[in-house]
Amino acid sequence: MEANVEVKAKEVIKSPSGFSVVWRELIKDKLALISLIFLIGVTAFVYGTAIFLDQEEIVKVDLFSIYEPPGEEFILGTDYGGRDVFGQLIIGTRNSLSIAILVTLMTGIIGIIYGLVSGYFGGHIDNIMMRILDFFLILPFTMIVIAFVAIVPKYSVWTFSLIMTAFLWMGIARLVRSKALAEKELDYIQAARTLGTSNFKVVFKHLLPNVSSIIIVNMTINLAGNIGLESGLSFLGFGFPESTPSLGTLLSYARNPQTLEFRWWIWVPASLMILLLMLAVNNVGTALRRAVDARQRRG
Amino acid sequence: MSKSLKWLFALMLAMLLVLAACGNNTAGDDDQKKDDPKTETEDPKDDEKEDEEEPVEDDGLYSIDDFATSKTNEGEAIEGGSLTFGLVSDTVFEGTLNYNFYSGAPDAEVIAWFDESMLYTDGNFTFTNEGPAEFTTEPYETDEYPNGVTFTFKIKDNVNWHDGEPVKAEDWAFSFEVIGHPDYTGVRYGPDFSNIVGMEEYNAGEADTISGIEIVDEKTLKITYKESQPSLLTGGVWSYAMPKHIFKDIPVAEMQESDAVRKNPIGMGPFKVKSITPGESVVYEKFADYWRGEPNLDEVVLKVVSPSTVVQALQTGEVDMVDSFPVDQFVDNADMSNVEWLGITDLAYTYIGFKLGHWDAEAKKVVMDPDKKMADVNLRRAMWYAVDNNAVGEKFYNGLRWQANSLIIPPFKDYHNADVEAPTYNPDEAKKLLDEAGYVDVDGDGIREDKNGEELVINFASMSGGDVAEPLAQYYIQSWAAVGLKVELIDGRLLEFNAFYDRVGQNGEDDPNIDIYQGAWSTGTDVNPYGLYGPDQMFNFPRYESEKSSELLAAGNSPEAFDVAYRQEVYKEWQELMVEDIPVFPTLYRAVLIPVNNRVLNYAIDYGSTMGRHELAVTQEEPFKHE
Amino acid sequence: MWKFSVRRILIMIPQLFVLSLLIFVLAKMMPGDALSGQIDPNIDPARIEELRIEMGWYDPWHEQYARWVGGVMQGDFGMSFRFKMPVTELIGQRIVNSFWLSVATLILTYLIAIPLGITSGRYNDTFRDQLITGYSYVGFATPLFIFALVMLWVFGFQLQWFPTSGSVEPGMEPGTFDYFMSKFYHLLLPALSMALITTFNTILYLRNEIIDTKQKDFILLARSKGASESRVYNQHIFRNSLLPIAAFFGFEITGLIGGSIFIENIFGYPGMGQLLIESISLRDFSVVTATTLLFGIASILGALISDIILSLVDPRIRIK
Repeated sequence: MEANVEVKAKEVIKSPSGFSVVWRELIKDKLALISLIFLIGVTAFVYGTAIFLDQEEIVKVDLFSIYEPPGEEFILGTDYGGRDVFGQLIIGTRNSLSIAILVTLMTGIIGIIYGLVSGYFGGHIDNIMMRILDFFLILPFTMIVIAFVAIVPKYSVWTFSLIMTAFLWMGIARLVRSKALAEKELDYIQAARTLGTSNFKVVFKHLLPNVSSIIIVNMTINLAGNIGLESGLSFLGFGFPESTPSLGTLLSYARNPQTLEFRWWIWVPASLMILLLMLAVNNVGTALRRAVDARQRRG
Repeated sequence: MSKSLKWLFALMLAMLLVLAACGNNTAGDDDQKKDDPKTETEDPKDDEKEDEEEPVEDDGLYSIDDFATSKTNEGEAIEGGSLTFGLVSDTVFEGTLNYNFYSGAPDAEVIAWFDESMLYTDGNFTFTNEGPAEFTTEPYETDEYPNGVTFTFKIKDNVNWHDGEPVKAEDWAFSFEVIGHPDYTGVRYGPDFSNIVGMEEYNAGEADTISGIEIVDEKTLKITYKESQPSLLTGGVWSYAMPKHIFKDIPVAEMQESDAVRKNPIGMGPFKVKSITPGESVVYEKFADYWRGEPNLDEVVLKVVSPSTVVQALQTGEVDMVDSFPVDQFVDNADMSNVEWLGITDLAYTYIGFKLGHWDAEAKKVVMDPDKKMADVNLRRAMWYAVDNNAVGEKFYNGLRWQANSLIIPPFKDYHNADVEAPTYNPDEAKKLLDEAGYVDVDGDGIREDKNGEELVINFASMSGGDVAEPLAQYYIQSWAAVGLKVELIDGRLLEFNAFYDRVGQNGEDDPNIDIYQGAWSTGTDVNPYGLYGPDQMFNFPRYESEKSSELLAAGNSPEAFDVAYRQEVYKEWQELMVEDIPVFPTLYRAVLIPVNNRVLNYAIDYGSTMGRHELAVTQEEPFKHE
Repeated sequence: MWKFSVRRILIMIPQLFVLSLLIFVLAKMMPGDALSGQIDPNIDPARIEELRIEMGWYDPWHEQYARWVGGVMQGDFGMSFRFKMPVTELIGQRIVNSFWLSVATLILTYLIAIPLGITSGRYNDTFRDQLITGYSYVGFATPLFIFALVMLWVFGFQLQWFPTSGSVEPGMEPGTFDYFMSKFYHLLLPALSMALITTFNTILYLRNEIIDTKQKDFILLARSKGASESRVYNQHIFRNSLLPIAAFFGFEITGLIGGSIFIENIFGYPGMGQLLIESISLRDFSVVTATTLLFGIASILGALISDIILSLVDPRIRIK
């Protein structure tokens, strides 16, 4: 995913701002518009209904309805604990979305600050900060996450997001830094500096707004990547407990070959949900990118 | 752009259709399956089983009694042939291919094809004289060891190592010298060895030889034990020899990593190792000089099969049989047409344990603690009454695990007490017991408080990993909630096995927050439960002891207990005591299922079977495939 | 440039040092050790304790670490407790498998990505382009392990075109042609599964590069001079777009390491990823540290290679 982030960033050249441009671009791009509506709809639905759904009730084991196929009582059937898959899908989607959003925001904030500071000050500070960043890049993600999962006593959406954030902020930091490096040579920053504006002010009042568009685009694309984030770990057996359903836990039931082959209703809806959510976010992201990249704009 | 929109929709639609189609097909298969699950298991049966099979119809339930323990032989064996054996494992096999050094179960499966025990066992897991060696015993009485016993082993004449060397007494004695050696790196050394006269001195490096082991002549070995115990006859004597002529020049500390263990191991079994692909597969060829006769098969291939692909591997004939089939996948595959299913009760049980004390590392014994949350036996009994293990077995495991009643499992035919009156599901009884014991709901929130009216939250440790581990743990919690007890998973999740055993107390440092836990024991072949419930045993995880129990456990392994009737009486009493005291309660017994391709002949899995692997044969070159 | 490379490699040393320290501490913090699994009534717990003491697992972690570093300095990564063999030998067995799997995956990735990326970039916003970008988005959104499971199920079991586990047919003689072919045959399906999913990056990148280059002045100039369209593409655009792709080659290595953990797990392919996961679960720490360090070195070298290629390709990226 790291490389992807870099890739996307490279082509963003200049950023005319204004939400009207973005909006115009979205309206033009029907696919992105539909994606956006879909996203808002799903989000509203899962967060809305999750208020009324009793998570305890849904993850309650029922010996007498194990592996029910979809039917009237259970729209999407039940799993090997007799638990309603549809309910788990809703709560799971909410949990996975929460993780994706949390991780995206936290990596965004850390990455932006780190990148801005490094890029703006440059020189030795930049050099040291980049070496630290390099170090994070070589960290064996899987091993450390598994170790954390074993060590951290309580394991929730929050702790999980924090752990993930620790390993995923580098992409955006690098991107912001390179933007900041280029931007600070420009006249307006130089002017602000010579006028004696404080560094803090220069960075956050002048530099940040001018790199904000690529940040938004980049974070949108990260969001797409983060939706499936916890599914891989769940698959390896280091994800959430089943009493905290997520798209990943549902998906990981497919590890059981009998489930994969005979009981599609357990894992296919979650797979499709991940696929659709990622595609939708990505479509919106693409439209956003066009909006901020004049050359690709459609009108 | 609308075009691409259409494309995407079309794609989605196509995917949905494909998936829906998949679903339909398989649903169809499912239905079919339910109609004739019995035919397969019925075929091999004689008439006598007929009436027992009634309850099995249609409800998707199976019973271990419906499975044969030996393969029905149909068709004529061909000359030679090759057989593929699947080792079902998530991980590779480690490749420590020697009985004296291995520690993982997969390695044991690999070794079993090329090496064997000097002593065979019968259906009661007791040593017989059928194997490569015969034995006699005589009492050994000195002032120091008034209850000793001397075993005299005689190795049969035609027993040879794969390199042609005869198996000698010194080879067997050598195993003891290696395991007892101060530099020994494996895990085997323990009370079974220190019970040998002179072994402790040798182990401490104070003696160069083990005084209790005497090589009488080339084929005769005498071993003297300090304490004569029935356990000696059920695996207590180390019965694996190692080829001294190969290992004698390797320092003991380096043996485990040597090529003689890892790359070109030899044994005395019916097949010899031809080639090893580390961790993945082993090819064996027949050992024509095998002491019980030339094997029928020319070649055996062992390969590791992942539990997630084992069904397909069996269906396509990629493997002819496996060491143990993942039971949770059986129901969907009961109709596999190219295999016969064999089944037997596993030497294991699952249980719920109650923490009643702690481990005193100084004194090396358990200490009961009357202030523990679970100290009241009525609370423990109520928790037993509250769970419906019958339903668990039927619903989660389709009858392939079933309600347990005693800590001595059914395969110990002589000792298992099937009639012990253990609590079974009865929530009303549970509530009554709790009410009487003073666990009542004083604040009206539906949750019982403890005797002092204070909040009672019972912390439950359970291990992740098993297929239905999580729903099972949740089910127990719900069942206890139904009688008003608040039980919570410790940390809110299942513990991974390392963490689980660490906190339950595998090194004596019990996590004091754990009140109850769900564990499982594999019992091994020795009926004696001392190792798990003795007062000075680390594995006594409930940290339970009582005078009565210690007394009975000691009596059960005393010289008097060589008398089976006496021993039965002792263990009967102990099993009753355990239902009385409930330091733990057994929940489930389990089945081992082994599918065997129809072309395979002469295979039996019952305990004490004398059918050897050299008798294995096939009826055709290629395995049958599932249709 | 030599100076640059040497400096980068020198920086690598403290990085790896800190990494090893981190791994070591984390490993020690994890509950259990390699003997935790030996819960067996037939094994004496006292013997287990004895072994723990002999192995030095009760010593303070910094002493253990110092001992370990001392060994590494002499090229000794210790013994795998689980496999009872030197870690170097164990990794030697596995790394070969992982190496060839990675090579095959990379080759397949580029074989898929280059034609698709070029087509997509050249004919952007046509139906062909949308098909290809559609594919890459789906690739982006499909979890690798689900895809791999389905691939295994379809091609391994239903159609039986490929073997379903292991790295080689049992009993093959190493060094023979058959052995080589068997190895190749075994890694094809895993490599293909991984390539089909991970290729989306390269496709999209290539596509965007080409769209970018298309509008550059020198291309416009070439066109206006009357160069044929195919000449413009083959001679100018393609070459200019391909080089940056080459530069990302190094970064692919990191991605491959991540992916191999899933792929090896699913296809029962005994490589480094599988070894790492198993060693973590079974607390075979000497293997964990060594494997992680190797992965660390691989990603650093990958990044270095990328940077070097990039600097060769694009003089704007100065190497100081």
